[in-house]
Amino acid sequence: MSSVGGATLAHLPFGDIVIYITPFTLTLFLLALVFTILVIASRPERQLDITFGADRIITKETGLTEMRFRRFMAIACGLASMGAMLTGDVFDFALFTSLVGITNVGIVAAVKSRHVQNAAFQYGLVAMAGTVPLFGAAAMVAATTGTLSMLELAKEATSVVPFAVKAFLVLGVMGEGMAPFYAAKAEMFRAPGAPYVIMCSLSSLLIFLRVIEVVLTV
Amino acid sequence: MWNEYSVGLFIVLISAAIGFLALARETDDFHRLLLIDLVEIPSLAIIALLGTDLAEALILPGLVVGISELLALSQLYIVKEGLRSRPVKSPGIEVIELAHAPLIISVFLVAYGIVLSGFTGGGIAGLGVIFYIMSRGHSERFEIVEMASGISWAVWIIAFFVFMFLPQYWYMAVMLAAVGILLKVAAKMSLMGTMWGAHDE
Amino acid sequence: MIISRISRFISNFDNLLALFAGACVVIAVLLILSLPLPYAENQLYPKSLNAGSPLNPYDRGGPPFTQADIVVQYPENSPYAGYVTAYLTPLSGFMAAHTLYLGTTIVAHPGGILDEILYNTRGLDTVVESTILFIAFGIAAFLFRKGS
Repeated sequence: MSSVGGATLAHLPFGDIVIYITPFTLTLFLLALVFTILVIASRPERQLDITFGADRIITKETGLTEMRFRRFMAIACGLASMGAMLTGDVFDFALFTSLVGITNVGIVAAVKSRHVQNAAFQYGLVAMAGTVPLFGAAAMVAATTGTLSMLELAKEATSVVPFAVKAFLVLGVMGEGMAPFYAAKAEMFRAPGAPYVIMCSLSSLLIFLRVIEVVLTV
Repeated sequence: MWNEYSVGLFIVLISAAIGFLALARETDDFHRLLLIDLVEIPSLAIIALLGTDLAEALILPGLVVGISELLALSQLYIVKEGLRSRPVKSPGIEVIELAHAPLIISVFLVAYGIVLSGFTGGGIAGLGVIFYIMSRGHSERFEIVEMASGISWAVWIIAFFVFMFLPQYWYMAVMLAAVGILLKVAAKMSLMGTMWGAHDE
Repeated sequence: MIISRISRFISNFDNLLALFAGACVVIAVLLILSLPLPYAENQLYPKSLNAGSPLNPYDRGGPPFTQADIVVQYPENSPYAGYVTAYLTPLSGFMAAHTLYLGTTIVAHPGGILDEILYNTRGLDTVVESTILFIAFGIAAFLFRKGS
């Protein structure tokens, strides 16, 4: 098969959904794995509020339940990214990508700040709207080619999926992966407990890289 | 070659474009949420246009993803807007014999739901749990409901692995999956009841 | 000048949904212009209707505990595909024998073609789907408990 990601190293069959590993997807998978382990191991940062004039420094405490919830979401996000990196089925990829989207909402939404929650809500709206092109494109791939498996689609000499359908798929992934926009604005500078927000940016980056491979392969 | 598929796709894409156009012009957060729910219908229609059994199996995940994101976002909206102390009264089902009657009816509904099993069974069993919680005004069982949801998820994963690695035990796997969906739907239904009537005291 | 105006528009996160919806409109129009699309003849899990069967839209199998014939992508990966399709619970079997309308409530019973696809051949989809529901439920429950 002519794959953009290099020669296929291994197959892992789950019924109709066959996971295939190429050097490209393996690299992305390891990246997601390393960052998930870092999230499990790391302690949340504490933010300092310095009041000028009053000569006062306040350490913002992150509540234990909030920290545990956000760590859970960050780990789930890491697992979802790993799945999205390896899966060899278009619809399964769409599902993993929307899982990344909803866990990103969870990471940001747990913060007790009106501003951050507003950003999380706006991001959630975009992620929810993003499922429309994502699932629509996957269904159109099935209808126009008769299969959802990327391995089968890659066997064709020329690309059988129409260009506009590919654009629809990329648009859906863009909607799900828009978190860093919000994370950068709402989270890094205003909310305590920074390490988990790395997962937002990293997972978005990874699903963007993967969707390019998917679009070039099918 | 305008086949039936393309004609259907043409109509659905026009309705999707109209929906997205409305979404682009809307500025109120709540109406945005409602409009996105509306826009998800064309995406289900695109899947349905596939017209095979696969399409029906793909609609279910598509639908569930939409509903679950709506669940999370509407709760986020409530918290964000600070609407949690709204005066919602639960219907307050009047029962003469407070101790036994709701219990008996609930047990009957749950047992019947287990006999039916699967999706509808989960709905009926969940109804039984809602009825019990509403008639008692209990809300401290929330953690149990949450735990049941987690257990059903784990049961489902086990069923999946049996199907994949021990396919000769397919019968056990399909029964595990049926129990999983029963627990899941029951937990979700009873949760709706708890969330709705939690602040009525 | 224009760039700074665009960047000011994008930096307000209230506008991003409008921007995304606008992009969706553009791509939807692009899709409409690229119509008609071909419809592949060899589809997986093709649908066949048999109006006389009590399981009408979903009747694919023979008697329970036999292997029904279904079109899957990789038959070698699911050697037991078709058994779930043919299976009916005793209650469902009773209803199928006495009424003609069991097919309308097929989702209520374990077994059948949809369970075959959902749990066996495309089981990973269902695992991810229930994980999404689990995560969304977790977010809602966390926010709800924090609020009360």
